Amino acid sequence: MAASLRSPGWYRAAFSMAIGWVVAFVLVTGLRLILGWQQEISWESITTVSLITVPVAFLYGIGCMDYWLYWLSGKPTKVDDHADHGARKWQDYFHFNTDHKVIGIQYICTTFFFFLIGGMLAMVFRAELIAPGMQFVDAQTFNGLFSSHAALMIFLFMVPVFAGIANYVLPLMLGAPDMAFPRLNALSFWFLPIAGVMMCLSFIVPGGAFATGWTAYAPLSMNAPMGQTFFSIAAQFAGSSSILTAINFLVTIITMRAPGMTFWRMPLLGWANFATSLLVVLATPFVAGSQFMILFDRALGMNFFDAAQGGDSVMYQHVFWFYSHPAVYIMVLPGFGIISEVISTHARKPVFGYRMMAFSLLAIIVLGFAVWAHHMFVAPMQNWIRIPMMLTTMLIAVPTGVKVFSWLGTMWGGVIHMRTPMYWAFGFITMFVLGGISGVMLAVVPFDIAVSDTYFVVAHFHYVLFGGSLFTIFAGIYHWFPKMTGRMYNESLGKWHFWLTFISFNGTFGPQHLVGLEGMPRRVADYAEQFAAWNMFISISSFVLGASVLIFLYNMIYSWRSGPIAPANPWHAHTLEWQVSSPPPMFNFDEVPTVVGHPYEYGVPGARHGIFKEPEPVVATVGAPAEETVAEGATGADDTSSTDGDA
Amino acid sequence: MEAHAAHDDHGHMPVANSSANVNREWLGMVLFITSELMLFGSFFAAYFFIRVVQGDPWMPEGQELPKYVAMANSAILFSSSATMHWALEGIKHNNRKALKTGLVLTILLGATFFGIQVSEYVHLGFLPKDSAQASVFFSLTGLHGAHVVVGLIILIVVANRAFKGHYGPEKEKHWGVEIPGLYWHFVDVMWLFVFTTLYLL
Repeated sequence: MAASLRSPGWYRAAFSMAIGWVVAFVLVTGLRLILGWQQEISWESITTVSLITVPVAFLYGIGCMDYWLYWLSGKPTKVDDHADHGARKWQDYFHFNTDHKVIGIQYICTTFFFFLIGGMLAMVFRAELIAPGMQFVDAQTFNGLFSSHAALMIFLFMVPVFAGIANYVLPLMLGAPDMAFPRLNALSFWFLPIAGVMMCLSFIVPGGAFATGWTAYAPLSMNAPMGQTFFSIAAQFAGSSSILTAINFLVTIITMRAPGMTFWRMPLLGWANFATSLLVVLATPFVAGSQFMILFDRALGMNFFDAAQGGDSVMYQHVFWFYSHPAVYIMVLPGFGIISEVISTHARKPVFGYRMMAFSLLAIIVLGFAVWAHHMFVAPMQNWIRIPMMLTTMLIAVPTGVKVFSWLGTMWGGVIHMRTPMYWAFGFITMFVLGGISGVMLAVVPFDIAVSDTYFVVAHFHYVLFGGSLFTIFAGIYHWFPKMTGRMYNESLGKWHFWLTFISFNGTFGPQHLVGLEGMPRRVADYAEQFAAWNMFISISSFVLGASVLIFLYNMIYSWRSGPIAPANPWHAHTLEWQVSSPPPMFNFDEVPTVVGHPYEYGVPGARHGIFKEPEPVVATVGAPAEETVAEGATGADDTSSTDGDA
Repeated sequence: MEAHAAHDDHGHMPVANSSANVNREWLGMVLFITSELMLFGSFFAAYFFIRVVQGDPWMPEGQELPKYVAMANSAILFSSSATMHWALEGIKHNNRKALKTGLVLTILLGATFFGIQVSEYVHLGFLPKDSAQASVFFSLTGLHGAHVVVGLIILIVVANRAFKGHYGPEKEKHWGVEIPGLYWHFVDVMWLFVFTTLYLL
């Protein structure tokens, strides 16, 4: 026992969490005694402080800080023995690990776990909404349910799952052996379960879960029960996780590309994560700031938002949306990258307008910082802000349109292989365009004022976040499943999953446009009789939608355990991650490949993206020597290229 | 899962290609500082909305800020940037004495700044909860103070290593001084903005 308490792991984590709680108790009670405040024990203050000390203690216990503490002690730096690198057995996935592939899987599984919880919360409040009147839960619980649903889906699923996919794929795609800062990468991951568990724990504290929406508008959140503090601190952990990961991605992309891979030879997933990470680094501190202010107001009695003391509650909305509008691009730009990879590979065509794809990403991040107040058209802000924000919001449809047409141009005349990732890509384009169009409608100030806080808005953001982002996530998971697990998923189950999701998704969110236009308000547990028929339909569709996820889960778990063994390059793709074995060796490449061409030259005779030898023999020989088996033949030859780098 | 075992014999970690002529840790610190700037920016936004958009007086009646004490204190903090630079130049020219003296002076100046700041808090005569302006004042200076403390901890670690004979004039051997120094300069420059907006304007 003593030994297991000294080495990093769950025993030490549990033990140090207990210590962390005691520290919070002693700190709060001691300070109150010394300063002569109320003598009785304040459990609320202790809980607030322990929400910081216990997670930090957990991070220490699980082993995130061991190397850094060793470094801080001033001992000579030692060469890393990679003892905590790579997974040798399944238990390794539950421990501190610095391998980006293990962290990627940890990310994806953790985020899907919280996705399931968030989805089940949605099932509960859709059950409540199946008929007018109150069925199963009271209004306060209903508010807690939809708030937690949104917060989990955004902070614990949509933002980090993209970080997870990129964590796995990006270093491989760039020809790097790992991320730039592997320990920081591990720390960023371990922030996530902390944030998720904290949000879920808010259900059991007095007063129930945070019930002010994921937006936590002040001054409503000022006087909300204890659960609100859980949300604010959890958002800090999730936000720190994104910022640190984004810094890691940026440094990796800038400094660790394979020789020959210029920015203009980088796969678009790299570009997408480059743009997203810039957004995260610049915008996420603002949500941290907004939640700090909420915490200071709640815990320290400050007056940022109390109008009687000179505070300004509209300021909260400005600071919050200055992050949270860019956040919607954080939640979709990596998906754009995934879709570019998927469509190009499965349609056997170079990406149409590759440079414009990259420039439009940069245009979106620049414009993304100038549209935040379109969330506040009904807020009491300065009148003159509305029209400029309307125009910039409409303008952002231009670079997005460039991307949509480029995807269509990529498919035009291609040899389209209708595999599951491609289904999701088609689903994404159609649904995202619908969501984009309702987005442009919402940008129009008078229309927005008319449908503000109705189900039309709910329909809009589910079309872009579910039909948009989540479809790209499914596309990406199916596309890289063989690479991550070394197994093939089941195609027909994948297609069942797609069709069931696609139909029930439209059944769930399509009618919400209609009831929204008729004026059904969102975030209300009860509604008028006239909306009863559609809501019954919506609720039943949503249950089918929930059930469709079970097919996905079954497919993933079953295929991971006993699917057919995957070849190294089942899709005959050119990008570097497919040129190593499935799953890749522990350090990705035995030798770093050299990039000699563009990543998407499908159908171009003799084209290749990366090679594993020095470039000189390539110039001489036309036919690929067997050892270099890198790119598959331009004609889509059989997959003989099981290059696991033994050469 | 078994598939992982098959690949364990693939040898050691290859050296990553260096595709840009920058140090990774330096770039990471620059990006981190960028996000820190934005965190300060969110509190400056609160300041802007309360003072400019709402037009409230800064500071409210009876909550004066000790401008001249803060001015002297700023001089102390800014001079610590000079000593930090001296320490870095010292190790670049293999002058270990300058490295150690510079680091110790930087730590002493930084600690003095922090001590004066704490004493200012105690003697101000108002609390963060007394007005929105006071909330902004304490948050911005407190956020900066937290960065001073983090900077001091890092510098103490660096000084500890310097006294043990670590670091050298070669480029890859003084990043360990240069990058903490970069953070310290950021803390100082940030104070210039915090001081100017809160005390002078």
